[in-house]
Amino acid sequence: MEATVDIRSARFREEREADWKRLEALVQEAESRGVTGLSFMQARDLAALYRQATTSLAIAREISLDKALLAYLEALTARAYLSVYAPQERLGGVVTKFLTKGAPQAMRRSWAFILLGFVCMGLGALCGYLLFFDNADWYHVFMPEGLAGGRGPGSTTEYLRGVIYDDDPDARGLGAFATFLFSHNTRIAIFVFGLGVFLCVPAIALIFYNGLMFGAFVALHVDRGLGWDIAGWLSIHGVTELSAICIACGAGLQLGFAVLFPGQRTRARALRDAGRDATKLAIVAALMLVAAALLEGFGRQLVQDMNTRLFIGWGMGALWVLWFALGGRTSGRGRS
Amino acid sequence: MKLWRRRSTSKPEGPPPGQLLPPEGVPIHLGIAGVGVRMAAQIVDLILTLGAAIALIVLMASLDLTTAATWGAVASMLFFFTRVPYYVLSEIFWNGQTLGKRLMKIKVVSNDGASLTIHALVVRNMMKEAEVFLPGTLLITLDAEEPLYTLIALIWIIGTLIVPLCNKRRRRLGDLIAGTYVIHLPQPVLLADVATYAAASSGKKEEFTFLSHHLDHYGAFELQTLEDLLRAQKSGMPYETSKTYADTLAKVVENIRRRIDYADRVEPDQRVRFLQAFYNAQRAYLEQRQLFGDRRSDKHFDEDEVEETP
Repeated sequence: MEATVDIRSARFREEREADWKRLEALVQEAESRGVTGLSFMQARDLAALYRQATTSLAIAREISLDKALLAYLEALTARAYLSVYAPQERLGGVVTKFLTKGAPQAMRRSWAFILLGFVCMGLGALCGYLLFFDNADWYHVFMPEGLAGGRGPGSTTEYLRGVIYDDDPDARGLGAFATFLFSHNTRIAIFVFGLGVFLCVPAIALIFYNGLMFGAFVALHVDRGLGWDIAGWLSIHGVTELSAICIACGAGLQLGFAVLFPGQRTRARALRDAGRDATKLAIVAALMLVAAALLEGFGRQLVQDMNTRLFIGWGMGALWVLWFALGGRTSGRGRS
Repeated sequence: MKLWRRRSTSKPEGPPPGQLLPPEGVPIHLGIAGVGVRMAAQIVDLILTLGAAIALIVLMASLDLTTAATWGAVASMLFFFTRVPYYVLSEIFWNGQTLGKRLMKIKVVSNDGASLTIHALVVRNMMKEAEVFLPGTLLITLDAEEPLYTLIALIWIIGTLIVPLCNKRRRRLGDLIAGTYVIHLPQPVLLADVATYAAASSGKKEEFTFLSHHLDHYGAFELQTLEDLLRAQKSGMPYETSKTYADTLAKVVENIRRRIDYADRVEPDQRVRFLQAFYNAQRAYLEQRQLFGDRRSDKHFDEDEVEETP
């Protein structure tokens, strides 16, 4: 089959076919064992042959009309490209980098959105609080039955106190941890994040509504003279948990903001840019929710003293703030 | 004169859909994976992670670590803690492929042709949580007593389904944020060169001679169609279709002869050899024209030329 064909592109193919076959074998090996499984010579050949194949593809597109050849080179180049340009980062390094630099820097960069989240929830809580004192029936409007756990304007002060200082062995341990992790608040956090992506408004409305519930709930206890007790009961996990919701909301708002006001960029591009920080915020929020569930599942039942509860809750809050404020300061200055 | 002008003058971002530009600067065409095949991959992954979670639950139940009251919460927690690392880690280790994606031969690639970053993989799988699993669990746990949640859930589900259908690369929201999309993995199969068939099969040389006025009628499209026809002949047809195949060959030969004004008769047993000789001559001629900058995509090439000269 050699020499009798004098078509230029057929000769072009004959001369290079062996290299392509070799590249194909190398790619297959790299795909099954990973690039790290290749020997030094193989890795070197893979890169060199890949570049050679791209050149062949570019030339073949110009000089050849052989459909089979073009399709083969295209597929081969694509496969080789995919195994040459595989992610090179180490997983451990990424986690450390995220904790020490990425997360706190992202938190500082998007402080405005997080603040907006806190403000929305704070306003909601204030409204709920004031409305409850205006008329206690508002409590039933804001609070779904299932969430209140039987606590309402109708229940006695002793009952409310009993719930706050309750050492029920069933409400402790792993089961409780899981229950609290997938509780109402986690759902709210995921919702505000996701809804922020679609549009800002529903996220703001939802977090405002969450604030209303919170405000009314606190007002009920303040009304019965249990203000500090409920503060302790909520603080031990709530400082972390409600902050996580606000941070998730901030992340959602950041994405929604990019969709609504992309500026000179396209919306997809703006979304991608905003996503860099928003995902970091979401991961931070997720970490905080897990911590909150731990505190709620184990801490709250073990610690029955009001002052200790307050101390643990706000101490955790202070630690979070320290992390966000000081983490990644030294080397993060120069970059924007 | 151009009859049709592009409406939008703004430059599109990145290469056109279905085309990937590696750092080497040679564009590669890749098939974009549709919604169906991606759902199939998703279902495979779902079954795998669910299986792992169930195994863990059975283990915990046998060790008496959970009580009946909190069973549901523990189960959903375990499912959550198996699936989240599974997607991220498998896509990192297998370079953009989960087991389901490997089975379906699809793969995540980055938009800009650079390698996938861990950030991108984390982002697209975290958004999967909000896009796939949350609507899924919402569907299961829809509660008529909470109309607000029901409404939000419905809007959400519709929204996540619409987003991939609204863009050409079928990217879901997570893909948009991460700057990735999903492609069909191309399979490199090198078929033999049809031009070498003729050299191998015809003993005597120059059975048919084609002059340049014979070869000025067809373009690349017709040539490649002929290539497919000859390849089918070589691959060996089943007996039933060989009769229709012979008819097709006869028709093709007659059409070509008429179009290019080829005077000599072609006997039935010469047909395949005639087509192969014609293929070789035509390909050599067209490739030469192409080298001189005269690219003929199909047989209407001269009409385009007339139209374009003012």
